[in-house]
Amino acid sequence: MTASTLAPVFAAVSIKSPTGPAWEFLVLFLVVILGPPIVRRFRGPGIIGLIIGGFVIGPYGLNVIGAGDTTVPELGQLGLLYLMFVAGVELDLALVRVHRRAVASFAGLTFLLPMLFGVVIGFALSWSTPAALLLGALLSSHTLLLYPTVRQARLSTDTAVASAVGATVLTDTAALVVLAAVSGSQLAGGSPVSTALQIVIGLTVLIGFSLGLLPRLARFAFRYLGTDRVVRFLLAVASFLAAATLAESFGIEPIVGAFFAGLALNRLVPNEGPLMERIDFFGSAVFVPVFLVSVGMLLDPSVMVQGETLKLAVLFIAASMGGKLLASLFAQLTIGFSRPQASLMFGLTVPQAAATLAATVVGFNIGLFSQSVVNAVLVLILVSIIVGTVVVERFKTRVAPPDVGAEKIGRRVLVTLQDPALAKLGFAIGARIAAADTGVVRGVLATSTVDAQSRSELLAELSRAGFAAGVDTEPRLMVQTSLAEGVLHAAAEEDASLVLIGQHSAKAASALGTSAEAVAAATPVPVAIVIGSLERVGEVELVRLRDSQPNGAPAPTSASRLAAELATRLGGSRLRTRDSSSESWSAELRPGQLCIAPAASWQLLAFSDPPAGAAVIVVLEPGVPLITGQPPYADVLI
Amino acid sequence: MRAVRRRIASGLVAKAAASALVLSAGVLSGCGVLTTSPAAGTFKPRNRGVLTVVTSDVPEPGFWVGTIAHPTGGFEYELARDLAVRFGLKSVHIRIEQFNRVVDGKLGDADLALDLITPTSQREQNLDFSAAYLTDPPAVVVRSGTDMRDLATAQGVRWGAITSTTFVGDIRSLVDPNSPVRIYDQQADMLAALADGRIDAVLMDLPLAVAMADRSNGKLTVVAQLPVAEDIAAALPKGSGNRQAVDSAMRAFTATGIIDQLLKKWVGPAAANADKAIPLLHTTRR
Repeated sequence: MTASTLAPVFAAVSIKSPTGPAWEFLVLFLVVILGPPIVRRFRGPGIIGLIIGGFVIGPYGLNVIGAGDTTVPELGQLGLLYLMFVAGVELDLALVRVHRRAVASFAGLTFLLPMLFGVVIGFALSWSTPAALLLGALLSSHTLLLYPTVRQARLSTDTAVASAVGATVLTDTAALVVLAAVSGSQLAGGSPVSTALQIVIGLTVLIGFSLGLLPRLARFAFRYLGTDRVVRFLLAVASFLAAATLAESFGIEPIVGAFFAGLALNRLVPNEGPLMERIDFFGSAVFVPVFLVSVGMLLDPSVMVQGETLKLAVLFIAASMGGKLLASLFAQLTIGFSRPQASLMFGLTVPQAAATLAATVVGFNIGLFSQSVVNAVLVLILVSIIVGTVVVERFKTRVAPPDVGAEKIGRRVLVTLQDPALAKLGFAIGARIAAADTGVVRGVLATSTVDAQSRSELLAELSRAGFAAGVDTEPRLMVQTSLAEGVLHAAAEEDASLVLIGQHSAKAASALGTSAEAVAAATPVPVAIVIGSLERVGEVELVRLRDSQPNGAPAPTSASRLAAELATRLGGSRLRTRDSSSESWSAELRPGQLCIAPAASWQLLAFSDPPAGAAVIVVLEPGVPLITGQPPYADVLI
Repeated sequence: MRAVRRRIASGLVAKAAASALVLSAGVLSGCGVLTTSPAAGTFKPRNRGVLTVVTSDVPEPGFWVGTIAHPTGGFEYELARDLAVRFGLKSVHIRIEQFNRVVDGKLGDADLALDLITPTSQREQNLDFSAAYLTDPPAVVVRSGTDMRDLATAQGVRWGAITSTTFVGDIRSLVDPNSPVRIYDQQADMLAALADGRIDAVLMDLPLAVAMADRSNGKLTVVAQLPVAEDIAAALPKGSGNRQAVDSAMRAFTATGIIDQLLKKWVGPAAANADKAIPLLHTTRR
């Protein structure tokens, strides 16, 4: 073929300019991939990269995704729901409980002051009442964007940090309730009384559904349908979509429902559990970035540089940051925080993102806010994130991390078993201990090197038992020649806060028994052994041992404290205590009883088998870590 | 933990109730969708106290009812009236201008145009557009009894469209008829040609097509819709300072259901679900 014959063939080849969903998603994901690292390279927060990226591809930028496109905005709306759901799920309600007074005081201040300033500014600008209220609400909310930074600095249990985290629950809830009321007043129609009634009824039904019915439904569904990871994830998604739909049907913004659904699932989805990992993964990979990109598409530079927009931005920044700063200063003076702590609280509560954007976008969509207001809020978000980052980075090193001893025992409970038949009781106990700290339970199947054929079957059985107990865990296999070493390694790898070792009988001359003691001696992580069989945890009894032990050893003081703590978590109001010096106390148990006792040595266990239908938890006295000296039971570490 | 959650829940309920009370106070003070505030943008009319609106056809079934001097209703007329109320203006003044001049930005002293205009990049060179108040596919209107079961049939009939509308391009690119598209300056001329058989099919915005067919005493039928959705928005003079206010108003009217109510009132209850009820013409290109 000659060039003259090929020419028409090539001339007939046409290349179209790219259009359609594949092209739009490609552009979208390129922004998600490239936006954050580019901005981080200039030491800016990654979130800004997504917003700027949205502007670049949006109708006011290169117009790759035009104003008429509905795919990205709709996906963005889903992302917004997801973001609010994750905000609800991630909140540490245990911290709210522990520091409730400081939380309540600081939450009141950090909500009311910016709210007040916002409403005053709104009225001063001759805004309508709903617009002024919504401005106050969006300025008073905040997003814990910098919480991972303080968590990395081991400050998550600091009172000031906990107060800021706890305050987020209340400020965001209050802000979203105001949003619900304002948007309801605009959307519901009808008389003022019927509108107000509809919102009150709607919120009551929503709260009843989210905090009453949804956790039970989710628990049931997780237990009986959620043996598949994909199903568990989809159940979580369906939960917030259901709450959002319910909210919308009452004229309340769906994000309010999504946030409440997050609070509802807060306990069922531990922050460090595998389901939360998946929720985080999909959120940070797709949904939330797409929402931020869709927000960036609203950026109109011609509006942004207008005097009106800049004037609004300055006022918003002054009101929001002034309010948050005053709240931190008041907290310093009235609650007694140090200056670095108060600064850290300011740095944590000043960044505006999720709830602020949500309220702004809703205000925009219902015609309360113009594009100038949206752009002014975007300036506020940008400035608040930068200021928050600078403040937290500066003051995180000036606050001493809380005492390590105060670490939560239920943060990460490692349940180690040889026989899956013991899993039901082990996981049930682990789940109760972890629940108080919104911690996670990890399952480990300990096997020897010889029984390779039955491993996968045993692991599946363990997994099923975990789901049946409502535990969000993916059990792992541990094949070791020395069980003690295996457990030690697993505890270190999993960063366990407590190791529970399950076994049928104390009298059985199993290697695990000696291993448990060896583990207790060689690791700083508390270790407890669960012995016996019990259908469900009912009556709980704490055994307090007398000062001297039968073999003359000193009383196990650390183990006693730990045993008391575990007994409180497991027994609650039904906990009974008794003093005993008898070596056969466990034999005195009745069926249905769970008894918890501290122990100093394996010899004590040698005659501690409970009767059938009862169980004991023997809490071992922690030893000295191997790195600091010879463990007392080094001889059994095979 | 259960007690904590109960406390949180009761706290939420209390806050919700308190906010609802604040809300009722706000509502009682007269804050609704049909009032505006500077937060949603400010509107300055070209003629004091009057909203001046330009359109190309009055009357137009379902959209402009009555005469220019005495309009009595219609979707776009009542939309203009609601805009006037929201912006605190006393009345609506209507001006007539040819559609091709409107999309060329020749609005005269009008504040805005309401004429089922689809924003395009070409038109955006001469006009600013508000947020869309309708998003609908173009619909095919034929004489009752005309067969249009598939694309091949559609390609075999004679098509007509009004000059400067996006429908001219839609017919050429999506249907690609065997005979040239006939272009008309006026909608009345095009409909007359359709009625007396000089052409067989025309494209219109779906709500207008439904309204036309409803009022044709069975002579016209909406047989199909094309697989593209087009925004319909108010057009403002290029660089108008009123765009944000009109934008906010359109979003508010859409969110609160005013647009749907007007559509049902003036085009008919079927109009709201017409996009689901009318068959799709499967075209080969998009």
